[in-house]
Amino acid sequence: MKDPRTRPVVDWGHLALLTVIVVVVVAYLLDARATSLNTNNLLLVQPAAILALILAAIVLPQCIRRDADRQGATDRRAALRQVGRVAALACAFGAFVLSLETVGFDLATFLFVALGLYICGERTLWLIGVFSAVFTVAIVYGYQMLVPYPFPLAVL
Amino acid sequence: MLDLPSIGSALSILTSSLTAWIYLIPGLLIGLFFGAMPGVSITMAMAIFLPLTLYMDFLPAIIFLTAIYTGAGFGGSVPAVLLNIPGTSSAVATTFDGYPMARRGLHNQALGVALASSVIGTLTSYVLLLFLIAPVSSVVLRMGPLEMFAIAVWGMMLLGALTGSSIWRGLLAGVFGVLLGTVGMNTAGYIRGTMGVPWLLDGVPTIPAMMGLLAASQLLNLVNTRYLIEDEADRKISFGHILDGLKLAASYPLIIVRGAGIGVVIGAIPGVGSSISNLISYAETRRNARDADTFGKGNPKGVIAAEAANSSSEGGAMATMLALGIPGGGATAILLAAFAMHNIIGGPRFISENQDIVYAIIFSNFAQALLLLFVGLGFVYAASTVVRVPLRYLIPSVLVVSTFGAYAIQGSLAGPITLFVFAVIGWAMVRYQYPVAAVVVGILLGRLLEANLLRTWQISRGDLGYLLERPGAILIFGLMLLSIVVTAYTRRRRTRSAAPMVGEVGS
Repeated sequence: MKDPRTRPVVDWGHLALLTVIVVVVVAYLLDARATSLNTNNLLLVQPAAILALILAAIVLPQCIRRDADRQGATDRRAALRQVGRVAALACAFGAFVLSLETVGFDLATFLFVALGLYICGERTLWLIGVFSAVFTVAIVYGYQMLVPYPFPLAVL
Repeated sequence: MLDLPSIGSALSILTSSLTAWIYLIPGLLIGLFFGAMPGVSITMAMAIFLPLTLYMDFLPAIIFLTAIYTGAGFGGSVPAVLLNIPGTSSAVATTFDGYPMARRGLHNQALGVALASSVIGTLTSYVLLLFLIAPVSSVVLRMGPLEMFAIAVWGMMLLGALTGSSIWRGLLAGVFGVLLGTVGMNTAGYIRGTMGVPWLLDGVPTIPAMMGLLAASQLLNLVNTRYLIEDEADRKISFGHILDGLKLAASYPLIIVRGAGIGVVIGAIPGVGSSISNLISYAETRRNARDADTFGKGNPKGVIAAEAANSSSEGGAMATMLALGIPGGGATAILLAAFAMHNIIGGPRFISENQDIVYAIIFSNFAQALLLLFVGLGFVYAASTVVRVPLRYLIPSVLVVSTFGAYAIQGSLAGPITLFVFAVIGWAMVRYQYPVAAVVVGILLGRLLEANLLRTWQISRGDLGYLLERPGAILIFGLMLLSIVVTAYTRRRRTRSAAPMVGEVGS
């Protein structure tokens, strides 16, 4: 009888990543072929894309692993909480990047640093406020001095 | 090879007046500061200070700008070691072992190793330049697309060293990177993979993509960690340990000389330069090392190889600029602009008519390299305090600095968006044990590979016999093959000689 602790388990996260890579490669290959079938267009792209798909097929079985050391419910919850914090910071970072030109670099920076500090574990609110404000002023004026491009601003 | 009267004249120019020297330390400090700021490139630093040189004499102006060049060349290694942020493409290979060293509490040594390798690399490259300026420039003139393609393939061989736990995942990551590197309009005018986004016409912005893959993804991963170095005892900032790093680098002269040689030759090739030389030097050192398995996990030899090559590329790029008047990259283009501002045209005529000035520039670079050792020591000591900052403050701050740096490259959201997308991709790849460094190498080399393969195809009309007409390319491919064969042979010998020893121990 097979040991139930070593049953095969699909690693959905890995599978999702591999799917993203394959989708990007296929979309790129189709787009390149739709542009032109001329050798000057496909000389490197087509063989490289086919090689990438072959490699993805070889990697695919690695998305299924033997679940020999199953985590306990507490460990699973802790791991989920850790991934949740990463996801929260990534979402905040995405919102920050996309809002830079609409909200203004200063306001977006202040809000992201404050939220980022909170997500990363700082709980003293006055420290969050003071650090975010001082850091925002320093980075905005610092980069304005160094960089020739204008930064859209809301307050400063 | 050496023109002694010109050397005498150069020395008298440099020693007769203080004005040539007073700009050295300010130039180095400006370079170090700008180089250490993510997104602020060497070119940008030199461009900002170019107008100042209008009010200087020719030689002090060039010395000031080359001091910025030298300082920024090393400055980029500081965030690469401490935060895994390669501020420039030439610092990519420094992150492979520099950052793991820092995470293990060897940040002082890593910075010392990087500084010493940079200084010795720069010195070696200018010594080589002193003797080889004419032959190097004639080699550069003979480089065609096939030779450039061969060099790019040589850079790709690094993928073999970056495969990590699974060779297939490593190769997939590398090929995926190459494909991403070819997005946009190719040299034949075909537009692919842009999804209608105008800024992708020029390709995926390389530096934001690198910062996202290597740095921002790591920062996301560190959310659940309190300090960059977990053990409080290891967070010490020690001048003694930085000096230990200096000594450690000096104990590997062969790696430095090999890195400097690769740096000078590859750095002299316009458009290739330090971004590939550091990868090739790293790959060659790893291939020849007995402890190849520890590369990527904090082996100081990896830092030495990368830093010796990227700093010596400066000498190579200067050779092309001085001898041929061809700028190999942004920094040497700014230097040529400074030449023009003083009504001097670089090129073969300049070098033949003003050999004393050329020697004076080379000698002043010796002085810059030596001064960098002392100025850099103070700089890395101050910079290493970053390991004491709690990560809950460091993570959002560095993400913001990276975003501002990514914006500063083009002055548009293209950089920050690329940074974010590659941060997420990088985080997922690290989580599932794909080597993100392989994607970075692929992105860096993808465009170069395609452009030169395409030019070769067009020139040869698909005839493989063209290879036989290009002895330079045959030589490069031959050297590559020889390197692989020799490595395989020595490994086999080592394994064979180790086998009886294991048997003896076992019996």
